[in-house]
Amino acid sequence: MTASVPPERRMANDIAVNLGHLPGESAAEAIAGHIGRFWDPRMRSRLLAHVDAGAEGLHPLVIAAVRLLR
Amino acid sequence: MDEIASVTPTFTGVSFDVLDKLGSVQWPCNASAPEGTPVMHVDEFVRGKGRFVVTAYVPTNERSTRRFPLVLTTGRILSQYNVGAQTRRTGNVAWHPEDILELHPHDAEVRGITDGALVTLASRVGRTTLRAEISDRMPAGVVYTTFHHPVTGANVVTTENSDWATNCPEYKVTAVQVGLVHPLGRGDEEPERAGDEEPERAGDDVLTAVD
Repeated sequence: MTASVPPERRMANDIAVNLGHLPGESAAEAIAGHIGRFWDPRMRSRLLAHVDAGAEGLHPLVIAAVRLLR
Repeated sequence: MDEIASVTPTFTGVSFDVLDKLGSVQWPCNASAPEGTPVMHVDEFVRGKGRFVVTAYVPTNERSTRRFPLVLTTGRILSQYNVGAQTRRTGNVAWHPEDILELHPHDAEVRGITDGALVTLASRVGRTTLRAEISDRMPAGVVYTTFHHPVTGANVVTTENSDWATNCPEYKVTAVQVGLVHPLGRGDEEPERAGDEEPERAGDDVLTAVD
């Protein structure tokens, strides 16, 4: 159940919940900033691959942030 | 000590002579603080005033359910340090020879658990066996144990959840069930299942006390 959600999806959604209150574009920018600066590249590439595969279960702001990361 | 002082700017003023004279020196110890710095950042930090940031609350995904109605919190006690690789080699084990599961008298009574009984502690991800201690320190619905002894392996019970910002593991919130160990014959526990198939119920909540 909850434990079976891969950590990169769970943590990306948590980041979106935490930073989602920022106005306009700045929320996606802040999420992309955190993932870009602090994540292991392997986790980042797994997240990007999951977005390519349909982004199931991801917060819309995470998808917007991934667009900025590319 | 002279070699350390020669290459470390915050230790410039430290020597065995100074240590013998003062007894103890706290860094930074240099020209601007010849006797060391007992309290750092008295008026401000290097960057100026501290910066406080309001952050939104991100709730845990962990949920207590009928199968796992209790919340496990793990922690340390004073006489041991982390997994005890150092402290279990000393006389400290006399104070804390094994990890003990503390639980509220009501949670113990409905499960037939008496003080000192062997119990299983199971979560969605793992299970272990340890001795129970009935304790008024625990609120009903919450159980506690330490993770100092590898034979218990409390970390096999906790989930892989972690904090999004620091990756700090979520060792304080794990939904669990506790049951008496039945040493002979078949126990009355449910058979193991591959996953937790039980649907979420409205009203299920991490902090819901069950009694």
